[in-house]
Amino acid sequence: MTRPWHWFAFRPERPDDAFATTPAFRQDGAHLGFLAAWKVGAGRKPVGALGIDARAIDPDGAPAWISLALAPERQRVLFDDPAVCQTMRVVLATSPVDVMSTLVRDPSTIGGAFTASHDPTPDDLADDPFARIFPRRLLRVDGGFVGTMPAPAGPGVQRYAGAPWPWDRF
Amino acid sequence: MSTQRPATGDRFIDFELPDHNGNCRRLSELVAGDATILHFYRGFWCPKDQAQFRGLVQLQDQVEVAYTRMISVSVDPPEVAAAFRAGIGARWTFLSDASREVQARLGLLETTDTVHRPYVPTVFTLYPDLRIQSAYNGYWFWGRPTTAELAADLRTITRAIRADLEVPAR
Repeated sequence: MTRPWHWFAFRPERPDDAFATTPAFRQDGAHLGFLAAWKVGAGRKPVGALGIDARAIDPDGAPAWISLALAPERQRVLFDDPAVCQTMRVVLATSPVDVMSTLVRDPSTIGGAFTASHDPTPDDLADDPFARIFPRRLLRVDGGFVGTMPAPAGPGVQRYAGAPWPWDRF
Repeated sequence: MSTQRPATGDRFIDFELPDHNGNCRRLSELVAGDATILHFYRGFWCPKDQAQFRGLVQLQDQVEVAYTRMISVSVDPPEVAAAFRAGIGARWTFLSDASREVQARLGLLETTDTVHRPYVPTVFTLYPDLRIQSAYNGYWFWGRPTTAELAADLRTITRAIRADLEVPAR
């Protein structure tokens, strides 16, 4: 892995240049759009894409439920905002799920959070801490997109050289 | 099997134990690239441990922004460690050595307590390569490190591992 993160976006149409894509469905089965991931450095940054921990994306991953909490596009929220730091603390204090990555908009701004579970039900995601500060969608995806990553070690709430939290080293 | 207690300058064994959620964690993975406080405690029932934990929970507010790790280890099963961790408000990883295998490898059995057979209360400060900066035997409470002593160790380690500890001139 050359970089600890990929570019990630939620799109109405399937992009043809992403290395991983999947249709995303609402809990009632309605199709909402496509999730896509691009490798950093493989071209220009896709418009509107956000940085995500590379471990969160796996083209061979199992089906998953995703809690996708996205900051409104016009709302600039710093990673150092006390509400964001406190949300990270809540994540560390509660039981971990299979995947959790903040989404990086720019070196100092958070774009949201991607939290996922490979369980057959979305119960683990009901109380996603980031859903308390950003609007979130609960999505179901088939296999081929969501990876698995170890729980954050804690207690750190700072990012390493701009990587998405909780990536844990420089 | 070695029963030599780890001492200053030694490299810690890279043991693997379940965390408070039951996930298997390796020491080197939890330490990653940071200075680390590795803390062995008797159990939730020990008043000296409770007093020490109150100080560590306060220290956590500094550790969480300082690219530093904390790890606590006991012979309590994961569910007990999880309950204790939640009760004191800790956000770092607790490891469970319920089988006492790592305790035996480290020679850290407190032989005078034949009821609980706990760890000798011990704190190590570690470099990312698991070398020991300091070792504190806390069998007597005043053998345990103060917050100031831990901060001094962490500064020493950080100075050694961060090339830019002195602010870059430009």
